[in-house]
Amino acid sequence: MRHLPLAPLLVFYGCFLLAPGLALAVLSLRPFSPTLVVGEGWTGANYLTALADPFYLGLLAGTIFLGVAVTLVTLLLGYPLALATVRAGPRLKSFLLVVALSPLLINLVVRSYAWIVLLGDHGLINAWLRAMSLPAVPLDANMAAVGIGLAHVTLPLMVLSLVAVMERIDPRLLEAAASLGAGEWRILARVHVHLAMPGIATGSLLVFCTAISAFITPRLLGGNRISTISTVIYEKFTFSLNWPLGAALAMVLLGLTLVVTALHDRLFRAR
Amino acid sequence: MFARLLALAASGVVIFLLLPLVVITGASFTTTEYVTFPPQGFTLRWYEALLARADFLAALRTSVILGVLAAASAAAIGIPAAIGLRHAGLPGRALLRGIAMAPLTLPTIVTAVALLQFYYAIDLDAPLGGLLIGHTLIVVPYCIRTVGAAFERLDPALSEAAESLGAGPWRIHLRVTLPAVLPSILAALAFMFVTSFDQVTLSVFLAGPDVVPLPVRLYTYIEFAIDPMLAAASASLVVLAMLVVVLCQRLLRLDRGLFAGAE
Repeated sequence: MRHLPLAPLLVFYGCFLLAPGLALAVLSLRPFSPTLVVGEGWTGANYLTALADPFYLGLLAGTIFLGVAVTLVTLLLGYPLALATVRAGPRLKSFLLVVALSPLLINLVVRSYAWIVLLGDHGLINAWLRAMSLPAVPLDANMAAVGIGLAHVTLPLMVLSLVAVMERIDPRLLEAAASLGAGEWRILARVHVHLAMPGIATGSLLVFCTAISAFITPRLLGGNRISTISTVIYEKFTFSLNWPLGAALAMVLLGLTLVVTALHDRLFRAR
Repeated sequence: MFARLLALAASGVVIFLLLPLVVITGASFTTTEYVTFPPQGFTLRWYEALLARADFLAALRTSVILGVLAAASAAAIGIPAAIGLRHAGLPGRALLRGIAMAPLTLPTIVTAVALLQFYYAIDLDAPLGGLLIGHTLIVVPYCIRTVGAAFERLDPALSEAAESLGAGPWRIHLRVTLPAVLPSILAALAFMFVTSFDQVTLSVFLAGPDVVPLPVRLYTYIEFAIDPMLAAASASLVVLAMLVVVLCQRLLRLDRGLFAGAE
């Protein structure tokens, strides 16, 4: 009886989250048929392709590499901004928080469009470089462009996670380190980073999971030259119509996300 | 030295964060046929061109309808769920909370292909209905989180007082607790509308040829042309999103309602 208010939610999730999820898992175990899209019977061939074929193995490695790179970049950019935010006075602090959240206000397509305009071979950054007689940088539809776009998309997640933890750091601990003769850099490296670790972990988890499953940014900023798991899933479902393989790739992506999340929970929730 | 370097690094990051926003808004006023920044001259003709595009206006209409319906359906499902999850003694409460947040943990593209092949399998040929289900699924956790957080902040003395005066559970909810959390409900509705309005990944997979939300229209347009009209469309969307946020913050203190439950 007390579960009654939850009934609409559970029925809705059952019909449109659980059932589609199970159907996707079943689909990933069906053989591909060029004429019917989905063949009869059961097979593990799609997972064998997704996890053992050199092309798909490279795709998986490339996507994970992209996720790690984006995580490191957002950490490197997010840490100074978060630190400056918690150290700032109230007015500057709310300004910095609004700036940190501002990318969330811009639609993903619009953001990608802005980066295409900035990064392309005939884009603004290269035009500015030419105007200063500096050599052009190749940022047109390559991994670097996708990485920059994804870092911009995910930076708010990192900054928010860091600020939430840094705000709760007891200033007396930093004062104690200073009174014992540690300089600002030493305090940062030996004390502050350790105290901020839960925020670093949560931010990294959010950024990594968002980056590896992002679709719009790699698709638009990578031209048709950069493939990640997500863009290949899209191709399997729209162009080549190999739905079973696309479903297997989606299950692999889901598995990767769940494993990383479980690892994070194990390392940081238990404490 | 340390403070100065920190300020320098933070300023660099601020520029990185704001650069696309500034460039797009600036470029939408350029008189040139191509996108450039700083803009050459000043014109509003790209905005005029945008308003003359019937397909963009139709897409805008689709997005608004979809956003309103998704926010309303998610509230209809999410508010009762938030009420149900309030009771400390509810068996399996932690598990149910985890289930309620599930759509947030799943990668959007996985949800998208799961729904796509599921609609195909059950022969659902209603693009707007399909989009609505997907969008509702993605925004309902925000409703449960925001409204749930408001319930947590609510003074239990309120409902106890109502009970001692003889009100039944329905009456207590309708006349006491729901009005008390109304600001959070409105904030959740606004946030869900914006989230649905902004959703691209799901919509790219589920949109039909005649039902195209605005972000999908922009997405297909980019693949074929990049001109200042798109900058104008982008700038309009940015202004629209900012207006909604400022409005919410002024009226409802959106930040408190949303981040209170995010811990």
